Amino acid sequence: MRYNLMLAWHGLTRFPRSTVLAVLTVAMGLAATMTTLALLHQLTADPLPGRSSHLYLAWVDTVRAKPQQNQSLNDITVANYHRIKLEDARELLRAHRATWQAAMVSVYNEISTNDDVHPHRAHDYLLATTAEFMPLLGVPLRSGRGWSAAEDEAHAPVAVIDATLATKLFGTADAVGRELKIGKGVFRVIGVSAPFAPQPHFYDLAAMTFSGSKRDVAFVPLHALLDAGVDLGSNDGCDEDAPKNQTMFGTEPMHCAALSYWVDLPTRAQADAFRDYLQRYAANQKSLAGYGKTARAELTGVGAWLSRQNVVPDNVRLNAWLAGSFLLLCMANVAGLLAARFLRRGPEIGIRRALGAPRSAIFQQHVFEASLICLLGGVLAWPLTLFGLWTLRLQESGFTDLARLDPVMFGALFVLAMAVGVITGWLPAWRASRVEPGLQVKSA
Amino acid sequence: MSLRIMLKILRRHALMPSLIVLQVALACAILCNVLFLVWQRVQPMVAPSGLAEDELVLVDQIFSRTHTFSATEAHAGQLALAHTPGVRSASSALGLPMISMVMVDYTLKSPSGVTVGVNGYFGEGLVKTLGLQLVEGRDFLPTEYLDFGVTQRSADVAKPTSPEPVIITQSLERQLFNGQSAVGKPLGVTDDPDHGYIVVGVVRHLMRNQLGMATDGRADNTLLAAKRIGDTALLGYAVRIDPAMREAAMRGIRDTIKRQFGAEIGEDAPVRIQTYADARHDALKSERAALWLFAGVTLAVIVVTAVGIMGLTGFWVQRRTRQIGIQRALGARRSQILRYFMTENLLIVGIGVVVGMALAYVANGALMHYYELPHLPWNYLPIGAAAVLLLGQLAVLAPARRAAEVPPVVATRAV
Repeated sequence: MRYNLMLAWHGLTRFPRSTVLAVLTVAMGLAATMTTLALLHQLTADPLPGRSSHLYLAWVDTVRAKPQQNQSLNDITVANYHRIKLEDARELLRAHRATWQAAMVSVYNEISTNDDVHPHRAHDYLLATTAEFMPLLGVPLRSGRGWSAAEDEAHAPVAVIDATLATKLFGTADAVGRELKIGKGVFRVIGVSAPFAPQPHFYDLAAMTFSGSKRDVAFVPLHALLDAGVDLGSNDGCDEDAPKNQTMFGTEPMHCAALSYWVDLPTRAQADAFRDYLQRYAANQKSLAGYGKTARAELTGVGAWLSRQNVVPDNVRLNAWLAGSFLLLCMANVAGLLAARFLRRGPEIGIRRALGAPRSAIFQQHVFEASLICLLGGVLAWPLTLFGLWTLRLQESGFTDLARLDPVMFGALFVLAMAVGVITGWLPAWRASRVEPGLQVKSA
Repeated sequence: MSLRIMLKILRRHALMPSLIVLQVALACAILCNVLFLVWQRVQPMVAPSGLAEDELVLVDQIFSRTHTFSATEAHAGQLALAHTPGVRSASSALGLPMISMVMVDYTLKSPSGVTVGVNGYFGEGLVKTLGLQLVEGRDFLPTEYLDFGVTQRSADVAKPTSPEPVIITQSLERQLFNGQSAVGKPLGVTDDPDHGYIVVGVVRHLMRNQLGMATDGRADNTLLAAKRIGDTALLGYAVRIDPAMREAAMRGIRDTIKRQFGAEIGEDAPVRIQTYADARHDALKSERAALWLFAGVTLAVIVVTAVGIMGLTGFWVQRRTRQIGIQRALGARRSQILRYFMTENLLIVGIGVVVGMALAYVANGALMHYYELPHLPWNYLPIGAAAVLLLGQLAVLAPARRAAEVPPVVATRAV
């Protein structure tokens, strides 16, 4: 085998021009494929490893309105993020049927220091939520504390902010005890967290999906934020009997479904029990009578939720397919180059065979040679892939700043290169091993 | 040499030709699909807008979180803009070409039952401000406009007793009325059967603002409704300027907006004031990026395939040097040798192309199924096929020339 490897190496240096051509072709195909796969890998990664497998989005449809029928020929679909009304969120929180649970919504708002003369301002997303968000989502706390359910009930104006925002507003990450102004309210910072940016922003996709630059920079009790007059942004629909809303983007949380309700259910049995509970809850909504709705409740896991909301843009997948078929083309091309190379040295192979080398040895030698070429292609594809990802990052389409090559994909590059080598080399090597010794020796 | 012999030779040494067939098939499948994707992206870029593009300035994202603009405020802004030096006319509008912030969605239904998905633009005097070319009927009368408030619920809006006047495009007229004049004809919408519409005018072109839908003859699926902007949290204006006074007009528009709405505009939602050309440039950004990508893919596929064909045929020629020499010695001309290799390439690439077209069709079927892509029309297949055949012929030229240059004397030498 060592000998075959050595011969393969010699083979490479024998026809340098066609070696370079083959290596370049493989490198191009591999780089294109790896660029698209690296992006796809980033976009389909588990947003919260170890945690998302037992997180579920709970939804009950209690909006008092006729079900929306959508028959647009323009492919406009009305977004449905399975959000619920404040009333139901309170009811579910009170029942406390899951291990951890919290209602939440990301709101884009101004956050400033509580200084009437020269306030420092930031415009960013903050998460309006309830006490248990921290253990639920696993938000890492650096200093201070989160807030309690009692503080939620008391509409306490407290906030947990992340270290970046603390530094931006106060010049120091040690911001516990300082005060913030959000809307009309003044909030006391009780905790500082490390930046928390799961990709995608699965717990509130209405606010954003993938973003390398945006995240929730502060966590604020929902009730206190509503007291401060902050608008919750979009919703999934409002009661028809609700008072007229004031602005186009205004949401009245008592009447509009604006909150995502996430629960932590460690076992399947607990999940099933919770699902039954939700269904019963929906069925007991007497006020829905007369709106032509059946009781609807759903409990959706993170993975199912993400694939249902189709968070990975279609063109990312499309490009991966395109790149993959380009790789196939490159492989066919290299297979041709290799076949030509191998058959050119027919006489040599004939002599080796005549001297007693078995077919398997010839085959092995040539598969090795093909693999070496493709591995070299892989090495060259590495900088090309980094270049491809860099060009992707130059395009600002929200998610492209996530285009990076992590160690897993770096490893995958070489595994792929190796696989490509073996597959590409198979047919030409087989053909080479079929060379008849007698014929070649005679003519040589 | 006859085709039969050619096929026989190819079958005897099947490896090389079959590798070419494989490459060509893959290249053909990729190129057909990419060509199709390119066309999908190019269509919105080349569709005529119907607007006075040079004279149009678009103002949008005048937005307040706390406050709803009233119809009076919207109208005051329109008047102030119209009286800005260098401005010919201004319209407060909802839905503007090349701006996808607000899209109005209609599913129109003609009396004969044809349904078409359409985008709508609302606003007073848009025909004049956008510079549309009216080819039939008339513009809206000032008395026909009704206030449209975004914050109002449909339940609160008084249902008009008479059908609502609309202006459609010539393309819509063709689709909905089958070539007959649309003026005076009624139209309906599928989701609100009680609400009637009547066509009062037809414009030559008006591009829709849902650019992803501006393909396959749907770019002009746009209507104008006789609606004046009422209370809303989001305002936009179309402004038509005198192109000779562009600089002054742009400055004036900026000042006017600041004066009219300055107090309301938050830091986080900056107002956009841009010429139509700039708005178009922004709106087509992703289309352009995709085109660059597809251009890169096409180039790479062409280069790889051409190099592959050249390499393999070169080897093929080299292997048969002696036979070529014999043929030449027996009286074959150079042109015959050349033609032989060209024909052989045509045959091999032709087989590859047939396989490739089938592959392209299957691949498109899969893409369509998973990614909501429109169906690959049949006519892309022959275009892609012709391109690949031409590519094959060009790629084989050099090796075939080399084969033709083989001197007859080779036949007498032992290799």
